Amino acid sequence: MDVSQYLDIFIDETSEHIQSLSDNIMILEKEPENKDVINEIFRAAHSLKGMAGTMGFKKMQHLTHDMENVFSEIRNDNVKVNSKLIDILFKCLDAIEEYLDTIKSTSNEGDNGNEALIKLLNEYLEGGGEATEAAQEPAEEAAPATEGEKAYLSLELDDPSIARLHEAEDAGLHLYGMTVHIQKDCLLKAARAFLVFKAIEDFGEILVYNPSSQDIEDEKFDLTFHLIVSSASELDPIVASISEVSEIEKVEAEAVQASAYDEKEEKKEEAPAQTQEKAVPEPAAKPAAAAAQQKSANGNAASGKGSANKPVTSRTVRVDIEKLDALMNQVSELIIAKNSLVSISDSEQSGDYASQSFHDQIEYLERITTNLHESVMKVRMVPIESVVNKFPRMIRDLSRKLNKPMELYMSGEETELDRTVVDQIGDPLQHLLRNSADHGIEPPEERVRIGKPEAGSIFLKAFQEGNNVIIEVGDDGAGINTDKVRAKAVERGLVSEEQAANLSQKEIIDFLFNPGFSMAKQITDISGRGVGLDVVKSGIEALGGDVDVKSTLGSGTTFTVRLPLTLAIIQALMVEVRDEKYAIALGSIQNIEDIPVGDIKYVQAEEVIHLRGLVIPLIRLDKLLDSAPKEEESENLTVVVVKKGDNLAGLVVDNLIGQQEIVIKSLGKCIDNNKIISGATILGDGEVALIIDVNAIF
Amino acid sequence: MTDEYGVEIVEQEKVQYIVVSIGNEQYGLDISFVDNIVRMCKITRVPKAPFHYIGIINLRGEVVPLMSLRRKMGLEDDTFTDLSRIIILKTEEQGLVGVVVDEVREVIALTEDEIDRNAQGSQSDKGNYISGIGKNGEQLISILEISSVLNEVEVS
Repeated sequence: MDVSQYLDIFIDETSEHIQSLSDNIMILEKEPENKDVINEIFRAAHSLKGMAGTMGFKKMQHLTHDMENVFSEIRNDNVKVNSKLIDILFKCLDAIEEYLDTIKSTSNEGDNGNEALIKLLNEYLEGGGEATEAAQEPAEEAAPATEGEKAYLSLELDDPSIARLHEAEDAGLHLYGMTVHIQKDCLLKAARAFLVFKAIEDFGEILVYNPSSQDIEDEKFDLTFHLIVSSASELDPIVASISEVSEIEKVEAEAVQASAYDEKEEKKEEAPAQTQEKAVPEPAAKPAAAAAQQKSANGNAASGKGSANKPVTSRTVRVDIEKLDALMNQVSELIIAKNSLVSISDSEQSGDYASQSFHDQIEYLERITTNLHESVMKVRMVPIESVVNKFPRMIRDLSRKLNKPMELYMSGEETELDRTVVDQIGDPLQHLLRNSADHGIEPPEERVRIGKPEAGSIFLKAFQEGNNVIIEVGDDGAGINTDKVRAKAVERGLVSEEQAANLSQKEIIDFLFNPGFSMAKQITDISGRGVGLDVVKSGIEALGGDVDVKSTLGSGTTFTVRLPLTLAIIQALMVEVRDEKYAIALGSIQNIEDIPVGDIKYVQAEEVIHLRGLVIPLIRLDKLLDSAPKEEESENLTVVVVKKGDNLAGLVVDNLIGQQEIVIKSLGKCIDNNKIISGATILGDGEVALIIDVNAIF
Repeated sequence: MTDEYGVEIVEQEKVQYIVVSIGNEQYGLDISFVDNIVRMCKITRVPKAPFHYIGIINLRGEVVPLMSLRRKMGLEDDTFTDLSRIIILKTEEQGLVGVVVDEVREVIALTEDEIDRNAQGSQSDKGNYISGIGKNGEQLISILEISSVLNEVEVS
C-alpha cells in the first residue's frame, strides 16, 4: 500500500502524540499514582505504535511497542515509576523524535535501531515491580556491559588486519583484545579515547580499532570502543594506565590469539548467511557508529534521488474548522454585497434613493472586508503553546544537569501569534530560559543561605497588549550585578572607566546584548560562550519585536519580549504633520488630547505636559521628522498620547484624519536605515503614507 | 546570418539603451535594467533618508524608493516639468528603484564598437558613474553604469 500521501498527517499526529507523552510523563513523575495520566500515556503510546506500524516504520514501531509494554506494566501496578524510568522514557521520546526528524527530511525512518534503549526498557521490565532505585542502578549499567562484553573477540576483521595480528604474534608480542567503556556523562568522548590511545602506545601498538580510528576521532561511537593491541608488556600495567584516564568507566581486556580471528574469517566464508544474522546485534552495541557508517553508505543512494536535505513535507497550519466556517460565511456575504452593488448600478432608479442604498452597500462591504481580514489573520494565528510546551521538559533536564532544583511556571500558552512568528520565537525563548536556569538561579545552598526557597522558580508569561504580544521570561535568582557588567565592559574596552561611571542601570544592562559579551565565569555546554543575548535580540528584532530587561540585584531578572501580533495589516490612526500624512498604530495609542499651548511645562528644558497626575514628555513630530517649519503656532496642540509598556509620550501633530486599516509595506533596502519609520502604506487615493514606529521614539 | 546575396554579415551584438536627458547632457541606460517608465506622481518624502533619495512612490500598489540622479551627481536639484519621467530600474540586490530624469528621448542600439570606453567623465570628485561614451551619429551619450549608481553607499 502506498502510504506516502498520509505522511503529512502522520508527521503532524506523531508530533502531537510525542508532545502529549512528554507532558504526561512530566505529570507522571510528580504523581506516579495518577491512573488517568497513565491511561492517557498508554493511549498515546498505543496510537504512536499503530501509526508507525501502518506507515511501515518498523524500528519506530518496535521502540514504541516496548514503551507501550512498560506503560502497560505501570498501569497494572507491576512496575513502579521512579526518576530512572522517567529518564529512560524521555530518552525514548528523544529517539522517536529523531525518527520523526529523519522521516521529515527523507521520508524514511533511518537506520538507528535504538536497541540499547529497547534493551534498557526490557531490563526495567524484567527487573519488574521489585526493582528499587538502588537495584536499578547496576542493572542499567550492566546493560551496555553485557552487550559489549567480549565484543573484541567477535570483531570481524579484514585480511590486512589479520595479517598484522599474525605478524605481531610471530614477532613474539602479546596480543590483547580490549573493550573500553566511557562514562555516560562524558562530554569529550573523542578526547578521552585519544588519551586512552596515548596511554596504550606507551606499551605497544594498536593494531585494530573498532569503530575505526577516524570514527572515534569524530565521536561517531557510543560509549564503548574495541581495540586489539600488540605489546611486549604484561596486560595489567596497560589496563592500569588506561583506567587512569578520567571519565573511563572500565576496561575489559584479555590476551587473544590471532588464530581466533582467522577462524572467524573462515566461518564467515562458509556461511555468509549466518554472519549476516550475526551482524544484526553488532550495530546494536554501537548504534551511533553503525548509523554513521550506514548513513554514508546510503548517502550515495539518497543523493541520487535528489536533494537529501530538502524536507519532504511542506509547512502547514492546522485550522480550527470554526475559523474556516467563519471565513466561508464572510466570503458568501462578500458575494451578496457585490451582487447588491451590481443591481444598484443596473437599476433604473436615480437620485437620492440610489445614492443612499449605494452608500449603505459600501458600508456593508467595508464591514465584510474588515471581518474577512480578521478571519484570515486568525487562520494564520497559532497558539504559542506549540513552542513553549517543550520547555517544562527542558527545564527538568537542565535542573538535573545543573543540580539546581527549579520549577517552570508558565501562563498564557493559549496566546496566539502569527505562524511565522511562532516558528521563529522558539530559539530566542529557549535561550532566555537557559540563561535564567544557568546564570539566574543560584545554587541551592546559596539560596538556602540567603533565605530563598531552595527550588528556584522560572516563569514564562505570555499575554496580549494592544497590537503586541508580550512574553516575559524571568527568574527569582540573583539578578544582574551591574557593577560586574560595568567592570567587564571596561575590561573589554567597550567604554572608558569615566564613561562607565556615568552610565545608567539600563545602559549597563544593554551591554549584555553586545555580541560576544558573556558574564559566565566558566563555559558550560548550556551557556556562557557569549553567543547569546545578541542572537536573541537580533532574532526578535528580525520579527519586528524588541527585548527589554528588568533586573533587581538579589531578587531576579525579567526579560520582556514584545512581538507584533500581525505582520501585514494593522488598524492605525492617520495624522497630518504639515501636508504629510503619517500612520500611528492604534494599538500603541493611549488617548488623544487637546492641549492649550499655555499648559506646556518644562522639565530639564524638555517640554512636558501634566495630565491627570501624569507627567508626559512632549515630542514634536514635525521636529522629529524634519518637516518644514510652521508659520504660526496655533493656540491648541493636538497631542496623541502613545504608550510603550509603562512609558507614555505625547506626539504633537497638526491634524487628525481618522482611523483606518492599513497594509504595511516595506520601504525597501535603500532607505531602511530609518528607525522612526517602520514602513509605508498606500492610501485609498494612491498616495503613500509613512508609518511611525512608536517603539523607536522612546 | 546572410543577406540576399548570400554574403555573410558579421553582426555584432547590439545593446539597447534608453536615452534620457538630465540637465544638458544625454545619458544612456541599459534597457535590460529598465522595468518601466512612468510619469511623475506624488512623491512621499521620507525623513532621515539618505540625501539622494527623494522619497517613495506608489507604483501600482508597490512602494518604490525614488532616487535623484541630479543629487547623486552633484547637479542642481530637480525641477519637475511635464517632460519629467521616472524610470523604474530593477536590480537583483536592490529590487525596484526609481530614478528621476528630465526627459526620455529615444531608444538606441549600440554595438561595443560605438562605445568609447576610454573617455571618462571629468567630474571625478562627484563620483563617476559613466562606463563609457556612446556615439550615435553626432550625438554623444554617456553610458550610465547602473549597478554602481544604485549600489554605491553615499558618504555623507
